[in-house]
Amino acid sequence: MVSRKDFIRNSALGFAGLAFVPGTLKEVNGTTSESAQTSGSYILKNVRLETGFAYENDEVIATHTALFAVEIENGVIKKISPNQPGAKNAVDAGGMLMLPAFRDMHIHLDKTFYGGPWQAVRRRTGGVKGMIALEQKILPDMLKNSTYKAEQLIELLQSKGTSFARSHVNIEPTSRLDSLKNLQKALENKKKVFGAELVAFPQHGVFYTDTALYLKEAAQAGIDFIGGVDPYTIDGAIEKTMDFTIQLALDHGKGIDIHLHESGESGLKTVEYLINKVNENPALKGKTYLSHCFVLGRLDRPQQEAIAEKLGAAQIGIVSTIPFGGLIMPIPTLLKHNVTVMTGNDSIIDHWNTFGSGSVLQKANLAAQLYGNTTEFGLSRTLKLATAGLLPLDDKGVQQWPKAGDQADMVFVDASCSAEAVSRISPVTSLIYKGNIVF
Amino acid sequence: METAYHILAGNSYTLKNVRLETAFVFDEDGVTATRTGLFCITVSNGKITRVFPNDAPLPHAIDAKGYLMLPAFKDMHVHLDKTLYGLPWQALSPRRRTVRDMIAYEQEIIPTLLKTSTARAEQLISLLQSYGTSFARTHFNVDTTSGLRSLENLQKALDNKQDSFKAELVAFPQHGLYYTDSAPLMKEAAQLENVDFIGGLDPFSIDNGIQKAIDLTVQLAIDHNKGIDIHLHDGGKEGLRTITYLAEQVLQNPQLKGRTFVSHAFVLAQLQSKETEAVAEKLAAAGMGIVSAIPFRGAAMPIPALLKHGVEVLMGNDNVQDYWSTFGTGNMLQKAHLMAELYGWVTEFELSRTLRFATRNILPLNNEGHMQWPKAGDKAALVLVNASCSAEAVSRMSATVAFAHDEGSLYWKS
Repeated sequence: MVSRKDFIRNSALGFAGLAFVPGTLKEVNGTTSESAQTSGSYILKNVRLETGFAYENDEVIATHTALFAVEIENGVIKKISPNQPGAKNAVDAGGMLMLPAFRDMHIHLDKTFYGGPWQAVRRRTGGVKGMIALEQKILPDMLKNSTYKAEQLIELLQSKGTSFARSHVNIEPTSRLDSLKNLQKALENKKKVFGAELVAFPQHGVFYTDTALYLKEAAQAGIDFIGGVDPYTIDGAIEKTMDFTIQLALDHGKGIDIHLHESGESGLKTVEYLINKVNENPALKGKTYLSHCFVLGRLDRPQQEAIAEKLGAAQIGIVSTIPFGGLIMPIPTLLKHNVTVMTGNDSIIDHWNTFGSGSVLQKANLAAQLYGNTTEFGLSRTLKLATAGLLPLDDKGVQQWPKAGDQADMVFVDASCSAEAVSRISPVTSLIYKGNIVF
Repeated sequence: METAYHILAGNSYTLKNVRLETAFVFDEDGVTATRTGLFCITVSNGKITRVFPNDAPLPHAIDAKGYLMLPAFKDMHVHLDKTLYGLPWQALSPRRRTVRDMIAYEQEIIPTLLKTSTARAEQLISLLQSYGTSFARTHFNVDTTSGLRSLENLQKALDNKQDSFKAELVAFPQHGLYYTDSAPLMKEAAQLENVDFIGGLDPFSIDNGIQKAIDLTVQLAIDHNKGIDIHLHDGGKEGLRTITYLAEQVLQNPQLKGRTFVSHAFVLAQLQSKETEAVAEKLAAAGMGIVSAIPFRGAAMPIPALLKHGVEVLMGNDNVQDYWSTFGTGNMLQKAHLMAELYGWVTEFELSRTLRFATRNILPLNNEGHMQWPKAGDKAALVLVNASCSAEAVSRMSATVAFAHDEGSLYWKS
């Protein structure tokens, strides 16, 4: 259990540009939320939920909300009922808007400077291989307190409303499985308040450094996805690396999530190769992802449509940090073809990048600005980037979340509706993970 | 979300344990870090009178607790007079597409907005202050619906906030000078002492004539000894022609040099790099500045090219939350952070230089790493942030803990 004090301290240490109000959930009778949490069963009252869209002609002009009581039992939403403002012993949500807890679907919890002293990125030559050489030098030191820093980073994410992450974790001959083990310790310490799925990430190549052996070991050590990075650039060949990755995933019943930064021909070939392999091995459908996949931003419009259609058919998802400036990802096109698109912070502060906020709501805001989703409807749909797909209302305005039986992962924000939350990056006031009140 | 501050001192005080940047740390590849030290600073009547070592016991000094002192944050383009900030959430309507649609909409809603515009301006100022900003260049509407009432209401808000916030004012003919009959009102506004700049809006697309609108703008500025800051969204050859025509007028009227600005100037992002260089040269020769909210959808503004030619580049939030845009944070460090990401300014040196866009071009260290701010004689316009150096403040958008403008009190976060 993260104490309120920890949160105040962490928000001060961290990314305090976006205001953060800690722990507003409280019981009316004055006892702390801790007793509610340990009891395993409680009622939340004065919970604001979205109930429908308001239309003028055919245009969504506002979102209707109302206050409800939400009953939680054993980590699951048991019942949603009319509000009971007078209920004794209920936890008072104070009219805050309840949304599906945020999910950061691409981050490196194992490898961060967060929690340590400020250090800017150094201008380095040698591309990704130069960075590999740098990592070989600095990782032994970073591993010394990587459990602590992962916990700090998790607390930052929680303060921004995130209760779940897909974290890549370095697997290479320098760290071997130590980065994984250290992260697993942090996750064990946080398991009541934070969930994660892990990607075994051969940051230094599968064959460029002798990593295959460690990946095989990792595949049996509690990870969920086999990762990868730029097979052509790092390992010198697409097929050999991809075949290894796919086989390892198939052998161990894992998913795949590959970093692909290559934006030229080799990038496109890698995407197409993966599409073909997934189509040949339908077991991988719905559990295969490409992270970054910058090459999609380099294609012309008809090519983007064609590849989006193929990705959609193969059920391969794209995980993007929403780059802007030089390269714009065709996210609207991907969504049009039913490709799963998710976002994550990636780096928060490390030797790759120092700009991460820790907020996926901020990422959704960025996407709304970048793709011109400025209307009530457009903004409300953009929330799904922060929740990895889940939205309170469907496109017709019919309530689809929360429902009895849903896992009780919820975030409370000081906003009147999803659209406002996305546009204003509204302050997160409380977080519940598997029914546990985090703050 | 706004943050409460309380007054810690008037305009004369001594601070101890103030972190100041003192130098860059170099290795063979360049700047690797920023060195800081703790100092005492004496402020008298809004001026820094002494910067001295932190070693003397000063029981009556205010403890700055090691926070980093930076030059005051200044928002150089905002509309404090017409915001929806503080009112119930309202997204943009897809029905209003053009500036002319927006003018029609404003004519409809301004009478209602004016009823509460003083209170909302104060609320918006509080938001800016929560991010450490204590100065703004604010445009205010001058149009046939508002008359000069938007100014009057804004001035009330500024009077109420004068101890903690200062502003310079731009008379902004949002509905055109001639598209609606606003020229007489602009002439009236130009005579007012509290108006610092003559504004403008897309002479080509709104008033159907570049020359006629710019000529009046320039004449008003000259006659009343004001600066100029016009909104220019127009692209294409008309947008470019507007800039070059204005530059010609400034060159013919040198008293306008250094005080003439083009806000937005989106056309600069549409040019080939050769054209950009040529315009940047003209702007620099005319002593004209560009004010940008740092757009990142579509082509980025050629800010590096402008800087290379010595053009003054200012930055502002523009809309925070209104019927034009609902995405503004009010945070100048967030804008500086956005610039750093957009232009790839990632190193210690580059990040530290990016701070200048939040401070109207004042930096603690010069490019060689020599201390240049604060010095005795400088105005005590300052902010204290929770960061180890400027580069961190920009990259991490560090929180503000205190601020003061030079004629007001020292405010500390409660």
